[in-house]
Amino acid sequence: MAYAGFTPAQRAHTKRVLWLMLAYIIVLPPLIWLRATRHIGDGVLLAMAIAASLPVLGIFASWGRYVSAERDEYHRSLTLGRIAVATNVTMGAAVVWGFLQAFGVMPLIETYWVPFVWVVVQGMYGCIEVFSRKGEQ
Amino acid sequence: MVARTPAWKRYNWRVIWLSLAYAILLIAAVYGFKHKLIPPALTYPVAILPALPIIGLFAAMGRYLVEETDEYVRMLIVRQMLWAMGFALSCATIWGFLESFDLVGHVDGYYVVIAWYFGLGVGSIVNKLTVGEGGC
Repeated sequence: MAYAGFTPAQRAHTKRVLWLMLAYIIVLPPLIWLRATRHIGDGVLLAMAIAASLPVLGIFASWGRYVSAERDEYHRSLTLGRIAVATNVTMGAAVVWGFLQAFGVMPLIETYWVPFVWVVVQGMYGCIEVFSRKGEQ
Repeated sequence: MVARTPAWKRYNWRVIWLSLAYAILLIAAVYGFKHKLIPPALTYPVAILPALPIIGLFAAMGRYLVEETDEYVRMLIVRQMLWAMGFALSCATIWGFLESFDLVGHVDGYYVVIAWYFGLGVGSIVNKLTVGEGGC
């Protein structure tokens, strides 16, 4: 099995994230299609926007649950370090982009790119950690 | 409120200096852009200048976590930061989809950082309710 070396909390978190990503992939395309092809009232649009957000919010909640459920101190400290790095880099990027927008140098973009940056940085830092550990061994 | 440790005091001093730097750089940048004093080649660096002390605030928070020797206090702050992260990223996600469905206007990216600091407050309330101590 691909995640045989995972702790029970990591396995549960991975399963939750995979289900949530599946939900996201299923929910998002029809919402975008509806938005592009039908005239929809603001109330329904609001419900659609929240429906599209829910799986992503679930992924963040799953991270929180993982950190509280993880009994292996070493893995928990690695995860917390990764979360701290990803958060700092993402907030740094958000504030730099924010001031570039405020001074009219860069265009305004949708804020869901901020969580996207967080996920990418978190994943990249995780890969760097794995490779650096293999290098040490 | 938890006891103020030496690491916490150092962190507070860093925050004070960085906030001062932020105020000075922000006023200078706004003044420069408003009166068209910035040459085109320098617009990007000058626009980024006020962001640097804010990035410094996050670095100060990271350094505080490294320097903090009281495990209990550190645990409280880590919990708060996790709540802040979840809150800020959730706000950004929801707002982003509301933007893309044309229900709300675009906002500058630094509002996510404001949401993060607000999230620290949420984390403090959660700490108070679940552990009995708020944290910072």
